[in-house]
Amino acid sequence: MSTVVEMLNVTKTFGEGSSIVKALDGVDIRIEKGEFVAIVGASGSGKSTMMNLIGCLDRPTTGLVKVAGEDLSNLNDKKLTSLRNYAIGFVFQSFFLLPKTDALDNVATPLFYRGVPAKEARKKAMEMLSKLGMADRYTHQSTELSGGQQQRVAIARALVTQPSLILADEPTGALDSTTGKQVMDLFENLNREGITIVLITHDLEIAKRAKRRITLKDGKIINDERGAA
Amino acid sequence: MNILIAARLAFSRILATKTRSGLTMLGIIIGVMSLIALVSVAQGATSGIQDQFKGLGARNLNITGTTSTSLTIDDAREIEKEPGIEIVSETVSGRATLSSNQASTRAQIVGVDSDYKSVVDPDIFVGSFLPDVETASDARLIVLSTTLATDLELDAFSIGSTIAVGSTEFTIVGILDDADGFGTRGTAYIPLETAFKYVAVPPYLSSITVQTINEEIVPEVTANLTALLKARHNITGEREADFVITDASQLLDAIGTVQQFLSLLLGGIASISLVVGGIGIMNIMLVSVRERTREIGIRRAIGAQQSQILTQFLIEAIVLSLVGGIIGVIIGEIVAYFLAQLGEWNFVLSPSMILASLGFSMFVGVVFGVWPARTASKLKPVEALRFE
Ligand SMILES: Nc1ncnc2c1ncn2[C@@H]1O[C@H](COP(=O)(O)OP(=O)(O)OP(=O)(O)O)[C@@H](O)[C@H]1O
Ligand SMILES: [Mg+2]
Repeated sequence: MSTVVEMLNVTKTFGEGSSIVKALDGVDIRIEKGEFVAIVGASGSGKSTMMNLIGCLDRPTTGLVKVAGEDLSNLNDKKLTSLRNYAIGFVFQSFFLLPKTDALDNVATPLFYRGVPAKEARKKAMEMLSKLGMADRYTHQSTELSGGQQQRVAIARALVTQPSLILADEPTGALDSTTGKQVMDLFENLNREGITIVLITHDLEIAKRAKRRITLKDGKIINDERGAA
Repeated sequence: MNILIAARLAFSRILATKTRSGLTMLGIIIGVMSLIALVSVAQGATSGIQDQFKGLGARNLNITGTTSTSLTIDDAREIEKEPGIEIVSETVSGRATLSSNQASTRAQIVGVDSDYKSVVDPDIFVGSFLPDVETASDARLIVLSTTLATDLELDAFSIGSTIAVGSTEFTIVGILDDADGFGTRGTAYIPLETAFKYVAVPPYLSSITVQTINEEIVPEVTANLTALLKARHNITGEREADFVITDASQLLDAIGTVQQFLSLLLGGIASISLVVGGIGIMNIMLVSVRERTREIGIRRAIGAQQSQILTQFLIEAIVLSLVGGIIGVIIGEIVAYFLAQLGEWNFVLSPSMILASLGFSMFVGVVFGVWPARTASKLKPVEALRFE
């Protein structure tokens, strides 16, 4: 098994002097290929901070963060951006589809940024939309889609680059429970196909469906359990 | 992401936000429109004048004396012997009172020889110009300008009737058309020999007009004649000559300078409005970057490089200013066309002017798009994503 994410004694602080906040405080984890990990914790416990590090959106204050074998501290903005494009598929709570852009181009955009010719990128995007049952909506913009449909398009966009892992921050947070369950079914299926998934959630019911749960409190890992709960 | 996709993105955004894009472009549209319209006015108006002066003959040289006794008939005889010269025409002038039965007025009386007609080609309103007359004859014939004829309360039927120059009776043979009036207003023409009897003193001439065999030779002939006359008038060294030689090219040059100056002045004014238009684009783009902070965050998260965000926003600014420029050119040319109709000059569609306007508006787009685009590209992905 290859390691997708590795964190060694990671701290992340915000601000300075008396107003300093330790969002992460000595975190060590390894996430292997094919895992399905849920990160849980109270509000302000450091979940999003950890996700930003795993997602190569930020660098740690101290400690080592390795994603797909690359040490983030050694990478400049350009390399960090490439790493996001190649290694990470983001799924956000509020979907974050691009405005004034149809579903097809939303999914194709990560490939555009990679320099894949438009025709080929759209072909791959179409395949991914089909896989998620959204082929008939490819001309729709986000304003013309339901929440569940938007999240499917967003997941297609995350998958189209064949990333090392899918990183989902509260992916069901803006959906009703039925649609939320469908999205979780989708993640389970994808994980069964071998795709690594890290998801952040408040919801313990959702977390139970992951194969591993990491609990954060005040920037520290207080629990790391494997197997279905 | 290639430029094509960025351009497509820019176009679809402009179409999706028509009102705002229209308002954003307004400054550029007005700027380019006024640039095109004003420069066309400057060029149209002056090219009309230039055409009129070209008609006066680019082959002609005019020699005038600085005093009434500077030039003589002998000077003219010698000039005729110079190479490259086709026609030499002599004129004298004096002032006299003209009286018809109805009115009288002081006027400039110009005595012209028989070559004058072919050199100057005066426009006749009615009748004819002075006929060729025998040397040393006493042909008391006169041609009046329309202005003079009007002053003397004469009409088109006055051809063949007489008026008095001083106390001598002259027969009117023609009235000139002053419309393109070049120094003919208020002037009457009589034969040279006659003029020597009544209004001028021989052998002195007031001017000599020379027609060269072609346009190219004019500067050379000017130099020759200057040397010849200086020698004949014993003017050596630093002493100032007692004659002045002018040709149409100097006049045309002067008009050209005026045209250039007018174009630059009006173009400059219009360019200022283009720059103001550019500032408008910058303002809206900066607002737009703020509004789209989250979109930029998403793009950065899924793999857009800083340079790609920069390109996207820069192209958006360029497309805005270029589309504004194209609309401005179209409206500007329409306005220029109607102004040309009004001002009765030729409407000329100048491709170089259009290209320059579009190039300039693109340049404005780049200059004023860079800052917003840089701002967009420098946003931190994490913070941009958190932005509400
Ligand atoms: N950019 C920042 N500047 C200052 N402090 C920050 C910043 N980002 C996070 N923090 C602080 O770090 C701590 C952890 O924040 P984080 O967003 O990771 O929590 P979270 O677990 O995601 O909470 P939630 O469940 O509410 O999203 C909090 O105390 C927060 O105030
Ligand atoms: Mg959070």
